[in-house]
Amino acid sequence: MAVCVAVIAKENYPLYIRSVPTQNELKFHYTVHTSLDVVEEKVSAVGKALADQRELYLGLLYPTEDYKVYGYVTNSKVKFVIVVDSSNTSLRDNEIRSMFRKLHNSFTDVMCNPFYNPGDAIQSRAFDSVVSGMMVQAC
Amino acid sequence: MSIPDYMQCAEDHQSVLVVVQPVGIVPEDQFFRIYKRISSVCQQSIRSSQRLLYIRYRHHYPPENNEWGDFQTHRKVVGLIAITTCASAKEWPQTSERFHGQKEVFGSTLYDSRLLVFGLQGEIAEQHRTDVAFYPDCDSCPDLERRVEDFVESIFIVLESKRLDRTTDKSGDKIPLLCVPFEKKDFVGLDTDSRHYKKRCQGRMRKHVGDLCLQAGMLQDALVHYHMAVELLRSVNDFLWLGAALEGLCSASVIFHYPGGTAGKRAARKPSISQAADSGKRHRPGALTTNGINADTSSEIGRAKNCLSPEDIIEKYKEAISYYGKYKNAGVIELEACVKAVRVLAIQKRAMEASEFLQNAVYINLGQLSEEEKIQRYSVLSELYDLIGFHRKSAFFKRVAAMQCVAPTIPEPGWRACYKLLLETLPGYCLSLDPKDFSKGTHHGWAAVQMRLLHELVYASRRMGNPGLSVRHLSFLLQTMLDFLSDQEKKEVTQSLENYTSKCPGGMEVITLPDGLKFPPVPFTKLPIVRFVKLLNLPVSLRPHKVKGLLGENMSSKSPFIYSPIILHNRGDERCKKIDFQWVQGAVCEVQLMVYNPMPFELRVENMGLLTSGAEFESLPAALALPAESGLYPVTLVGVPRTVGSITVNGYHTSVFGVNSDCLLEGLPGVKTGGCMVEVVPSLPRLLLSTSLPRSPHVAASEDISSSVALQLFNGETQTLTVTLDNIGTETLETLELSSKIISTKEKLLGDILNWDIQEAQSHLPLLPGCSLSLTVNIRVKLDFSGQENLLPDLSDDGISVTGLPISSPLRQVLKPRPESKALSADPGKNEKSTCHVKTLEAVMTFKYSGGGGHVEGFYRELCLGIHVDVEPSVFFTRVSTLPATSMRQCHLLLDVFNSTEHELTINAKNNQDLLLYASECQRMAIQVDKFEFESVCVQPEQSQQQWETERQQAQGSLINSTLIHPSLQREGEASVEGVLNQLVLDHLQLAPLQWDVLVNGKQCDCDIVTDCRVGDPVSLEVKLTNHSKKEVGPLALTLVAFQDYQNGIQNHDLQDAVTFIGSNTFYIDKVNPTFSSTCTGALLFLYTGDFYLSIKFQDDSTRRDLPPAFFGLPTVHIRALESPIENGA
Repeated sequence: MAVCVAVIAKENYPLYIRSVPTQNELKFHYTVHTSLDVVEEKVSAVGKALADQRELYLGLLYPTEDYKVYGYVTNSKVKFVIVVDSSNTSLRDNEIRSMFRKLHNSFTDVMCNPFYNPGDAIQSRAFDSVVSGMMVQAC
Repeated sequence: MSIPDYMQCAEDHQSVLVVVQPVGIVPEDQFFRIYKRISSVCQQSIRSSQRLLYIRYRHHYPPENNEWGDFQTHRKVVGLIAITTCASAKEWPQTSERFHGQKEVFGSTLYDSRLLVFGLQGEIAEQHRTDVAFYPDCDSCPDLERRVEDFVESIFIVLESKRLDRTTDKSGDKIPLLCVPFEKKDFVGLDTDSRHYKKRCQGRMRKHVGDLCLQAGMLQDALVHYHMAVELLRSVNDFLWLGAALEGLCSASVIFHYPGGTAGKRAARKPSISQAADSGKRHRPGALTTNGINADTSSEIGRAKNCLSPEDIIEKYKEAISYYGKYKNAGVIELEACVKAVRVLAIQKRAMEASEFLQNAVYINLGQLSEEEKIQRYSVLSELYDLIGFHRKSAFFKRVAAMQCVAPTIPEPGWRACYKLLLETLPGYCLSLDPKDFSKGTHHGWAAVQMRLLHELVYASRRMGNPGLSVRHLSFLLQTMLDFLSDQEKKEVTQSLENYTSKCPGGMEVITLPDGLKFPPVPFTKLPIVRFVKLLNLPVSLRPHKVKGLLGENMSSKSPFIYSPIILHNRGDERCKKIDFQWVQGAVCEVQLMVYNPMPFELRVENMGLLTSGAEFESLPAALALPAESGLYPVTLVGVPRTVGSITVNGYHTSVFGVNSDCLLEGLPGVKTGGCMVEVVPSLPRLLLSTSLPRSPHVAASEDISSSVALQLFNGETQTLTVTLDNIGTETLETLELSSKIISTKEKLLGDILNWDIQEAQSHLPLLPGCSLSLTVNIRVKLDFSGQENLLPDLSDDGISVTGLPISSPLRQVLKPRPESKALSADPGKNEKSTCHVKTLEAVMTFKYSGGGGHVEGFYRELCLGIHVDVEPSVFFTRVSTLPATSMRQCHLLLDVFNSTEHELTINAKNNQDLLLYASECQRMAIQVDKFEFESVCVQPEQSQQQWETERQQAQGSLINSTLIHPSLQREGEASVEGVLNQLVLDHLQLAPLQWDVLVNGKQCDCDIVTDCRVGDPVSLEVKLTNHSKKEVGPLALTLVAFQDYQNGIQNHDLQDAVTFIGSNTFYIDKVNPTFSSTCTGALLFLYTGDFYLSIKFQDDSTRRDLPPAFFGLPTVHIRALESPIENGA
């Protein structure tokens, strides 16, 4: 159902980005990149209130003609962005939330790998398979 | 209406629109100069009232937009200022005609118009017309602004009258229905008498009056009218106009809340005027005001009530936009409303909601847009996103706009515009185009989109016709994005870079665009990547050495302390660290870099050289080809220092893919250096050494040796070596010193191997460049000739030997018993001989030379010649013994000589007969030698016994030499007995310290000398003792005994008849002190002729027991008594 999943580092460069192979990858790069504006805006707006009790899930960042972009920010300011097809109306907010949670768990596993150097691109097979699972699931 | 004005903002609702247009031919720059002056009059306080009139000037306005003037009055063109140039009066009527024609275009809405004529003079210009102003030229029109102000005032009067007119005529008359252009046909045949219709008319009119009030500066009234209009229109579901009324309400509220304006960039409003005008508004309700004459409290209260709160403004905007959205034809209005709302939200810093408005604006379909309009639209979107802080989104739209500039549908693509827009997107993508920002730490930003943008920049700049720029961008792409490029992309990028650079090579200069934008140079510090920089010392033979004394001074000047535990920790500037060796002016110096090629193909680096500062340095560039994905690869860069001083290596320059780069080390991450600053000493001469002997294939033991020779000699042989020194440098050789050192060897060496005459060589100095001198060196090997090997044949079976002892060596002692070891080594001895017994000697000759400037500074160079000598054994003295000679002052030395070579050889000692020795033959030879005298060394304390012995041996060895000749090989040498002689032998060779002289008839006599005397004559005999020892000797008693020797072993002592002593035959010598001598005399009388011997014996005396018997060796006197001359004569 997801057409693109991206993990973005605290410094706003991609750690991982994967999109459905049928479409122009660069387009998703642009989509995810521009969504960072919204993420930053949302984080800074919430940050003013209560930083520790903040909801990690940012909800819908912005809808485009074809896609809906959802965002999620970990406490360490690593951002997850999931792009889903706009036509997929059956998708509920809860499902998106669970996807993010799964992604976050898998990301935590990646970070726990002693051989992973924080800040490097993610090249974990386990993480890949989790992402693949999201991209095919319930189409 | 199809052309949106993206620059609109909420406060534009209160302005009146004036179009300024050229009529006829007006030069553009002139027009805009005038236009600028006119537009400076943008707000005007009206004299009669406290109100302000805002004017919006446009030099271009589509008439169709004017048709929407009833809908929103700020869209209505109410004033026209025409600008024309008129050279002569003839043209005047035509110009006037044109002006009227222009008026016609906006005729329906115009309140007033003006014509500004430039250049016309004469009677026409004299006439006074309110609507025409004449100026001689565009520079001399000082009252232009005043005229515009008058014009604005006249517009205000019309506006005010219209407002009053519309406000008051609510009495029963039929209110006309105001409508927008597309509505007109909808109302045909509508019942004009229905309540619904009337309400609609009323509502629309209310809204219109609100607009007019707003324009006329009556904000409060406007708010009231808008509220009423909203209520009226809501009841009749007139959504388009309801939207307009809501928007009017919003605009008025925005004007109230944000007197500074929402347009941001266009700070057109003069704060001072608005301050005065708004002072009333800004006061809190009920507050006392100084100029509050007409600020009555009721209006304050009403204002607060009617005015929307900031949150409400957005709500109402949303509502208005949703109403506009119902009408396809109101797209422009909707879009403009969105833009206005976004500007308001930007001021309120509510980015999220603003983005929603913008998102909506993106989807507003305005039908077929021209390319230019699209570009404009995207640019505005980008600007607005920027305004709300969404830089990435802004960059995205700017990039879309840029792409639109060169869309394939455009016949003439605007590459320049595209490029310019693309440059503006850079901050949004975190790109700076300064490679320095990328050199440190991790990569910033989103590489994929950055790369895309760079590719686009490259392409745009190329299409723009600026290849230098595209090379710069492409270099930047390659340098900063190298980690993100795939192998295929790397290939493509480098290929296109090479294509571009073939036309326009890339350099290190800063590229400045006409608009002042600067592109710093991009050095290729990653092509290749340098990991290590190390300055290399000169080769050993070229290294400068400092004369010792001067060096000490240098050391002391650094610090007053010999040692201090406080070390200055300056690890940070490791690169500035001085290196402890020096370079020499004029000598080729090297710097080693460890580089690697990150590319998947061979990297050709051309013109790679060093960048230095300090003393002048001539870099000699190198070209290299690094294999694909090479590991660390050493590269040596060379150069020649041209002046004296210190040189700092700052970096290196390369030329890769046609791009020249200067890479500075300080900017490079992860580069290790061992210091980059080196001292250059003045130039020194340079010598090339060649020898008469072939160069040695041996690798010399020590690395310091620049060349070496090897030779093979028999022990004792001498070889001459001619060393030729060529001055191949540019300096004159002024000094030359020569020393030699023998590399420690276990072998006992007799005398120096090398000797030479330096004087001869030094006489050639100074040696000019290109000249050469030669030096003869004698190589003489003299190893121990004693046969320490027990396998050598030993002629010990003789009884003649006095000493009878084999050569005493500790080894020999240990190896006893001899027969066994002899048997052991009988057979293998032969094999070993050729291999094992070859001994190796190594010596180093050091030439220290100097000259030129370096000599003055106290530097010199060293040249080392290694000499490797394989010494083959020649002869051995297996056994040494002595035999006393007839003379007490002489002695026979018996040597058992063994020829260990495979050749026969001839031995010649002291002019003796040649002795021929066949291979492996051992023979004994006897040499008569003089005894030696040891003046300095007497019986000394034991402590220096060893040394004493050695000295003695040396002294003797130097005298007793035998010449060896190898007839077959034409080689000859000297064998020395030095080291062979042992203590016993030496004792025999030693001359006693007590010198006994026996004089017969005043003549010295010795063993072999026969003294003649006559029978019957008394023969005087004198015995003289000279004490050379350091002790006193004596007293001694001597007895003289005469005898005859029959030469057959029989001695006749019974000679009382033949010889008679005159006086006593006993002599007595008293104490003789050191260096003194004592003489005692006696006399003899020979009675018969014959050969007589006199032996002088000591009487057994206790005193002589202290001294060795050799001290008392007195010669036997041989006297031949002859006939007396008388008898002879008879």
